[in-house]
Amino acid sequence: MSRSSRKGPYVDIKLLEKIEKQKESGARAPIKTWSRACTVVPDFIGHTFSVHNGKTFISVHITDNMVGHKLGEFSVTRRFTGHGGTKKEEAK
Amino acid sequence: MPRILGVDIPNNKKVPYSLAALYGVGLKRAGVVCKECQIDPAKRAYQLSEEELGRIATYIESNFVIEGNLRREIQANVARFKEIGCWRGYRHARSLPCRGQRTRTNSRTRKGKRKTVANKKILRK
Repeated sequence: MSRSSRKGPYVDIKLLEKIEKQKESGARAPIKTWSRACTVVPDFIGHTFSVHNGKTFISVHITDNMVGHKLGEFSVTRRFTGHGGTKKEEAK
Repeated sequence: MPRILGVDIPNNKKVPYSLAALYGVGLKRAGVVCKECQIDPAKRAYQLSEEELGRIATYIESNFVIEGNLRREIQANVARFKEIGCWRGYRHARSLPCRGQRTRTNSRTRKGKRKTVANKKILRK
């Protein structure tokens, strides 16, 4: 079920404000955020975010290809390290 | 075998089912084609005249993306996902389902044939 187009994309207002501030000051420090559900809008292009994955922040540099995706899509919450076997355990 | 846009379509099937042999044309679109080109869908493919084939070809070409072009388009989309490093790209790269399906069982279409691990249960203990 997709979001009603009447509402428009969900964008975290606080993030937008921060982007505005950065644009004025010209600073390009990564913005820390927990807002994984926030849609990437064209204003974000060129900025860097540190998106929380539940444990750490993963830095995401926004390019024009990423517009329309959610921030969380770029910050993986689980990493598959391979199935355990005796060989692998011995190697460790 | 009549040829449409460089692809042979099966002779003895009814026109819509025969057209569905084209990549990018399924039954739904084949029905639309028949309607728009005013071709009796009960007709068999070998009964189509040259002129009718031409009509079908021009209609399909101007309205749908099919065959090689469609394949390329899909590939380009997947490549984009991989390039931007998003979750879907990661799932494509590992040929796992991209849309949140379970992978504990099933998803054999994406994962391919079962790779049996010998003594899996014993090792776990």
